[in-house]
Amino acid sequence: MNPLRAIWEYLKEISGENAYDKYLVVHSSTHPGRRPMNRGEFYRWRQNEKYNNPGSRCP
Amino acid sequence: MGNSIRRYGVWVGIALVGAVCWGVLALSRGETVNAGWLLFAAIASYAIAYRFYARFIQKKVLETDDSRATPAERLNNGRDFEPMDRRVLFGHHFAAIAGAGPLVGPVLAAQMGFLPGTVWIIVGVILAGAVQDMTTLFFSMRRDGKTLGQMAREEIGPVGGVAALVAVLSIMVILLAVLALVVVLALAESPWGSFSIAMTLPIALLMGVYLRFLRPGRVLEVSIIGIGLLFLAIIGGGWIAESSPYADFWTFSPNQIVFALIAYGFIASVLPVWVLLAPRDYLSTFMKIGTIMLLAIGIMFTLPAIQMPKATPFAFNGEGPVFAGPLFPFVFITIACGALSGFHALVASGTTPKLIQKESQTRFIGYGAMLMESFVAIMALIAATTLDPGIYFAMNAPASVLGDTVQSASQAVNGFGFSVSPETLQTTANNVGEESIVGRTGGAPTLAVGMSAIFSGLIGGPALQAFWYHFAIMFEALFILTTVDAGTRVGRFMIQDMIGNVYRPFANPSWLPGNLISSALIVGAWGYFLYVGVNDPLGGINQLFPLFGIANQLLAAVALTVGTTILIKMGKLRYAWVTGLPLLWDASVTLTASWMKIFSPDPGLGFFAQRGAAQEALANGELYGTAQSADDVRQIITNSTVDGVLSILFALLIIIVLVDATRVWFGIIRGRKEPDLSEAPWEESRLDSEGQPVEEREPVGTGS
Repeated sequence: MNPLRAIWEYLKEISGENAYDKYLVVHSSTHPGRRPMNRGEFYRWRQNEKYNNPGSRCP
Repeated sequence: MGNSIRRYGVWVGIALVGAVCWGVLALSRGETVNAGWLLFAAIASYAIAYRFYARFIQKKVLETDDSRATPAERLNNGRDFEPMDRRVLFGHHFAAIAGAGPLVGPVLAAQMGFLPGTVWIIVGVILAGAVQDMTTLFFSMRRDGKTLGQMAREEIGPVGGVAALVAVLSIMVILLAVLALVVVLALAESPWGSFSIAMTLPIALLMGVYLRFLRPGRVLEVSIIGIGLLFLAIIGGGWIAESSPYADFWTFSPNQIVFALIAYGFIASVLPVWVLLAPRDYLSTFMKIGTIMLLAIGIMFTLPAIQMPKATPFAFNGEGPVFAGPLFPFVFITIACGALSGFHALVASGTTPKLIQKESQTRFIGYGAMLMESFVAIMALIAATTLDPGIYFAMNAPASVLGDTVQSASQAVNGFGFSVSPETLQTTANNVGEESIVGRTGGAPTLAVGMSAIFSGLIGGPALQAFWYHFAIMFEALFILTTVDAGTRVGRFMIQDMIGNVYRPFANPSWLPGNLISSALIVGAWGYFLYVGVNDPLGGINQLFPLFGIANQLLAAVALTVGTTILIKMGKLRYAWVTGLPLLWDASVTLTASWMKIFSPDPGLGFFAQRGAAQEALANGELYGTAQSADDVRQIITNSTVDGVLSILFALLIIIVLVDATRVWFGIIRGRKEPDLSEAPWEESRLDSEGQPVEEREPVGTGS
C-alpha cells in the first residue's frame, strides 16, 4: 500500500470516521434482520456513550 | 549464532551512542551543549529500556499470555469492548495521556538547569512512569477493565478505595485550576492570543453543527476544515493586534479572562457535548499530534544549542524564583507528566484495557506510549533551555519581583546571577508580536518563545516568528481548554455520582438541576483556586504548581500500591520491587515535599511559616513579601492556610493508602490471609496476533 494511502487509512481509523462501517458489519452478524442505526443516529449515540462514561485524560 | 551476534551488536551500538551522549551532557563545562546530545541520549535510553526492561516486565513479571482471550475479545460488543488494532489504540492512548502537563512541568523545572530535569524525565519514565502505566493497564485488563478506584477497593480495601476517590477529585480540581491559570497567564494583555483563542468557539460550534446535522460522522473532513479555520484565526489575530481600536477591544486583564474561563467552563459542562466539547476534542487531538511531530522535526533539523547551564545555583539553594525548594524533592514534583504521572493510571484503567487485542500488547501501548510522552517532555525541556537563561528568568519569575519595565526586569535577572539587557527583552517581545514578555509565567509563553525560535528556524525565518509564537500559544491553550472542558465534565459526573448515593435523583446524569448544581460545584472549586492563583501577591503558579505535582504523585502512589499488592497476591513477591521501588521513591518524594510545604520554617517554602510571617507583618502594620497593601497580606494569609491544609490532606491520604496496603501485604506474606485475586477467568483466545479470527485465516501456501 502506498504510504499516503496508509496514513489516510490510519487517520480514518483513529478518528473514528470508519466506525459506522465497522458497526454495520458487527451488527449484521450479531443481530441479523434487525434494522441498524443510520449514520446520524450511530454517531449521536457513540458521542453520548463516549462523554457520558468519562474515562479520563492526562493534563 | 551469527545472527544473534549481529542482533546484540546493534544493541551494543545503541548503548554506546547513549553512553556517549550522556557523557557529553554530564561532562560539559561552561560551553553550550548541542540539543542533539540530549535528544539522542533520550532516544537511545528509551530504545534500550523498551527492548530489555519492558520485555523483562512482560515476560517474567507479568507473564503475558497471548493464548488468553482479552476482555476486548470475550466481551466484544462493538462499543466500549472491542479488539482494536494496536497502532490505532496506541494513538488513542497517547492522545489521552499526553496533554499540557509534559509541556509545562519541564519548562518550570528548567530553572534548576537542564540536567536535573533531563535525568528525571528519562530515568523516571523508564523505571517508574512507564512501569506504572504498563502494569496498571495489564492488571485492569485482567479484571475486565476495572477502574483504578475499583481495583484499589477490591485489592487493598474500602479505605484504599475511598482514598483513591478523594485523591482523584482533589487532583482534578487543582489540575483544572493550574491549567486554566496557565491559559490566563498566556492570554492576559495579549490581543493576538485572546482573539485567536476566542475564535475557536465559533469554529467548534460550526464543526459541531456540521458533524451533527450536515454530514454526520465525517470527522476527518470537518477536522481539516476546522484546522484551516484555526490557521486563519491565528493570522487574523496578527491583524487585530496591529490595528489599534480592535487591539484595545481584544486586550483583557487577567481577571477578565478568569471570569470568562469560569463562565465558559460552566456553560461547556452544562451543554450537550456535541456543541463544543466533541469538536474541540478532534481539533486539539490533531493539533497536538501535528505540532509534536513538527517540533520533533524542527529540533532534529535545527539542532539548537542549549543555553541554560547544566545546573543553576537554584538547584542547591532552593531559592529559585519559579518555584521554591531544593532539587530533591521539588524537581520530581514539578515534572510529573513525562516522568511519572498518576493521572495516567486513570486512562490505563477503565478505557484502554477494554480495547486491547492481545495481552502482550500492554508493553507497546502501556510502556511505549509513556516513552513517547516522555519524549514530548524532553522536547519541551529543549525548547525552554535553548532560550537565553536571562530571557527565561525574565519571563518566569513572579511579576512582582520583576517590576513593570524591561529595565527593572533586567535588574532583577542580574540579581538572580544571570544577565539580560533591557533591549534584548524588548526585541524578543517585538519578534513574537507581544507588548512585553516580562513576567509571563506559567510555562506556556516560555515554551512558545522557544518553539517559535525552533519553528521559524525550520520554516519562514524571523519574519514568521510572531506567527509561530501564537501558533504555539494557540496549540497549548486549545488543548488545555479541551482538558478544562472534559475535566470539568468528569468532575461533574463524579459529584453527581457521589451525591447520587445519598439523594437518588442526582445519580441520573441528565437530570437538569443535578447537572447545574454539580457543574457549579466543580467549576466553583477550580474557579476559586484559579482566581486566587491569578491574584496571589506572591505569584500563583509557584504556589499552586507544587500542590498539583503532589496531588498527581499521590495518585501515582495509589496506582503503584495497587500494582505491588497485586504482584504479591500473584505470588510474585520476588518481582514486587518492579513497582515497589518506584512506589518507595514516589512516596518519599511526595512525603518529603509535603513535609517541607507543611513544616518548613522558611516562609518562602512552608505554607504555615508563610502564614505566620504574614500574620506577624499584619499585626505590626507592615507589608509582607511583595504585597502592596494590607489586603494583599490578608490574602496571603488565606491562601497559605488553604494550601497548607491541602498539603496535609494529600500527605495523610498517601500515608493511609500505604499503611492499609502494608497490612494486606504482610497478611499475605505471613500466610495469614488468602491472596484473593479478582482476575477474570482464563478463556482461550480465538484471535491471531494481528487480531484476525483464527478460523477465518487463509490456509498457508495456497499461493496467489
